[in-house]
Amino acid sequence: MANIDELVESLARDAAPVKPAPHPLMLSLGWVAGAAAYLVVSLWLSGLRPDLMQKLHEPWFVAELASLALIFIATSLSAAVLAFPDLHQMRKAALAPAGLFALFVVILFFAWRADVPPAPLPMHSFECTASIALFSLLPAVWTFLAMRRFASTHYRWAGSVALLSAFSVGALWLLLHELNDSIIHVIQWHYLPMLGISLAGWWLGKRLLKW
Amino acid sequence: MYWLIRADLKKGYNEIFGKFSLTDKTENLEALMKLSLNGDQRAYAVVLQETARLLRPFLARRLNSVSEVDDLLQEILISIHKARHTYDGERPYKPWAYAIAKFRLQDHLRAHYADHLHHAVELSEVENDLQVPVTKSDFTYESISGEIEKLPPKQAAILQMMHQEGYTAKEVAEKIGMKESAVKVAAHRAYKILRKILER
Repeated sequence: MANIDELVESLARDAAPVKPAPHPLMLSLGWVAGAAAYLVVSLWLSGLRPDLMQKLHEPWFVAELASLALIFIATSLSAAVLAFPDLHQMRKAALAPAGLFALFVVILFFAWRADVPPAPLPMHSFECTASIALFSLLPAVWTFLAMRRFASTHYRWAGSVALLSAFSVGALWLLLHELNDSIIHVIQWHYLPMLGISLAGWWLGKRLLKW
Repeated sequence: MYWLIRADLKKGYNEIFGKFSLTDKTENLEALMKLSLNGDQRAYAVVLQETARLLRPFLARRLNSVSEVDDLLQEILISIHKARHTYDGERPYKPWAYAIAKFRLQDHLRAHYADHLHHAVELSEVENDLQVPVTKSDFTYESISGEIEKLPPKQAAILQMMHQEGYTAKEVAEKIGMKESAVKVAAHRAYKILRKILER
């Protein structure tokens, strides 16, 4: 008990004024804005897919684009919430990506059903996954560095969501850049790797976010 | 100087909390933490004292020894100090503090059980030893009774019951109020010690 009293006194003596961390909504807003700017600049440099205006009239393409954007926003908010020890007492926000992923799977299923006759598969395959991963590196580093300033008590989960958020920015970029109509290819090489990414984030979270 | 600060903090604690009832104390932790974030050392000392008071029974229910509770409580208070910028004084304080406490408790228990597993004896290894026909060995219980007496009393008693009085591990367990697996492990450890002594 005496030790506790001494510790309390020593900690109290060290208590300089500290600036409280921003609210997770503000934090995620910053990340989303940063990622949106990165996406715009990248698309400006790499170019939009030539048939984008035409594709924006296809309901399943628009649904895929919108749900992917929502996944990105939800994972950003979830990562921001998970950076706080008590999830900023917004547990539902931390779980929000789960519902959106379920919606995304449903949309992909209907897009696959609507792909009749199936669009031809492109010549390339894993190159798409590699491009998305490379594109996602910067947002991933940025998000992890930002999260390390806080105190996550769910570091594996936080790491997983942070990597998914970064990867969804990459997937958005490729969706708007690549001239490709094959939903099979997109599922196989753009979205299924998200499972592996979430596992990598699980592992990375323990390495980088534990405090 | 140190004692002056200590007395000053204690005075601050009494000044601040003397005015409040027990319910008020926890309700005002949010306000006190807000003051702490602005550098108010007295308020911060009060918050930490109250946090320790709240967490002690929580930890005591989950840990065996008082020293373990004290050690972990210190670790939690340091974690709260390190993470205090993640609290803004606007939301309830207790869920925030308990989240950190649970996190450190889980870490502590994980390390504790990992250490136990590291030192654990594989039960199959024990079973193999127990199947060795000890009665047909070169040694009888009587011939090594001197060595057995040097063993820790519990191990010696178990060997005596199993090899002199002829009880099974299950029967010994019932007699001395231990689990059968614990009896087997104790016997296994005793055999190991005896083997080492007799091999010399």
